Amino acid sequence: MDPALLRVLVESGVKIGLLFGAVLTTVAYMTWVERRVSAWIQDRRGPNRVGPFGLLQPLADGIKFMFKETILPPHVHKVVYALAPAIVFVPALVTLSVVPFGPALRLFGRDVVMQVADVDVGILVVLALSSMGVYGIALAGWSSNNKYSLMGGLRSSAQLISYELPLGLAVVGVLMTSGSLRLSQVVAHQAEHGWNMLWQLPGFLIFLIAGFAETNRLPFDLPEADSELVAGYHTEYSGMRFSMFYMAEYANMITASALAVTLYCGGYHVPGLRLLGLSPAASALVQVAAFVLKVAFFLFLYVWVRWTIPRFRYDQLMNLGWKVLLPAALIHIGWVAFLILQGWA
Amino acid sequence: MHLLSGLILAVIIFAMMRPFLAGRPAIPIVFLILSSLTLLAKFPGDLLGMQFWAGAVGFVAILSAMLVVLHPNPMISVLFLILNLFCIALFYLMLQAQILAALQVIVYAGAIMVLFVFVVMLLNLKAEEGLRLTGGRQRSGALLLGVAFAGLMFWAIEHRRGLPYFRPGTFLEGFGTARDLGNLMFHDYILAFEAASILLVAAMVGAVLLAKRRLQ
Repeated sequence: MDPALLRVLVESGVKIGLLFGAVLTTVAYMTWVERRVSAWIQDRRGPNRVGPFGLLQPLADGIKFMFKETILPPHVHKVVYALAPAIVFVPALVTLSVVPFGPALRLFGRDVVMQVADVDVGILVVLALSSMGVYGIALAGWSSNNKYSLMGGLRSSAQLISYELPLGLAVVGVLMTSGSLRLSQVVAHQAEHGWNMLWQLPGFLIFLIAGFAETNRLPFDLPEADSELVAGYHTEYSGMRFSMFYMAEYANMITASALAVTLYCGGYHVPGLRLLGLSPAASALVQVAAFVLKVAFFLFLYVWVRWTIPRFRYDQLMNLGWKVLLPAALIHIGWVAFLILQGWA
Repeated sequence: MHLLSGLILAVIIFAMMRPFLAGRPAIPIVFLILSSLTLLAKFPGDLLGMQFWAGAVGFVAILSAMLVVLHPNPMISVLFLILNLFCIALFYLMLQAQILAALQVIVYAGAIMVLFVFVVMLLNLKAEEGLRLTGGRQRSGALLLGVAFAGLMFWAIEHRRGLPYFRPGTFLEGFGTARDLGNLMFHDYILAFEAASILLVAAMVGAVLLAKRRLQ
């Protein structure tokens, strides 16, 4: 085999393996964090029996999910029913491949970019993949042959389509200032001109709210509103298939947090790091740690909001999406254009 | 290329075996897996060639396009149409047009097809009520138009091959990037672009007006 090709394949393979490992471990521990933090917020103790502080709880849950019977209800469309959890789960994981989580590092005599794929149209890849998740949920609802599932699937499609628009329009502001669709360039621009969050606070807030809606988290978890739809699109799912929906929700949270960090909070950039005069390897390590910490803050925010704010009603959700966020995002684009014309951004 | 033709042959034999082994789906599937593994072991070099992947994507595209029309269940037809649009996005990627590939997935596979899924779900069509070609006249008409269109495509491909912009070697620097596309759309062809958008807005307003009139 061609040695150059082999090198690329090995490098990408190692990166993909590391990223998958990190994301899946985070997903497992997010379930633990969610339960501990919710217990903290509600003045309970939460899972603290399995291992120290209950740290082995995700492992126990995983084993339980695997040994549970995967029930195939009668009258479901078998192929689509089995395929739907995968369609939800895969885009949630793949989206992270275009997010840079550290600066380029010199390893084994060559520059290694800490990003699986530095794609020229990075943000568009993110938007394209996030629109694929809709199918998984809609098809899960349809193939279950259950009215609650179908209602959940339909609601979710409507919700995701409605909030994709403000999300995309908020990101347009970032594109206008950085002048590139490449996520590594967006980070580089912020390192030079200050974080986008400072200049584009409205855009950041719109992105964050739409992100909550896109990940189906409370206060926007209408697809599986348990008081009216039993459990929405995953009513009929059990065992490992159910756990794929569950993991996809957390993987989506990680992706949305990583994107919020990359687009608005400077990515892996740490202000004033250059003044310390660290060696390249040490400063790269600090920057990766900074990225992880920023993402962790947003993940905590997701949990915090979930256990604080009650669920929206469906008409309130639609009004917020179409009558508040969409016009706000359009006005925000005008504001960013004004900033650029004035030479302030 | 040997690998691809072998795989296509295996799939065709697989499809022909299926009706004779009803109730025993495992046998043809085992055949398919064994034959693909044998072919992979025999021609492993093909996996690194662009030709193989272009052919494979083309094969999936044609197969899914046929299943859109032939599958009795409308929902599955829609899913095959999504698969087909994905294949086209892959073709754009192979032609170095990254942004077109991304837009293809966002606009067609992402936005428009979700509406298709939505409509099919709301109509709640059963498998038996799916699209059927009724009567001999419609079938022969469809066949005639299909053959005519295929002929037109063949003619177009034959006559276009000579032009320079069909050779990948002649692509300019920055071909297919966002900047290049933006320049074409908002500078060179701004008038056509704006005219198309006005047309779309007019169509949308018309659709809303028609729907509202029916509600009153």
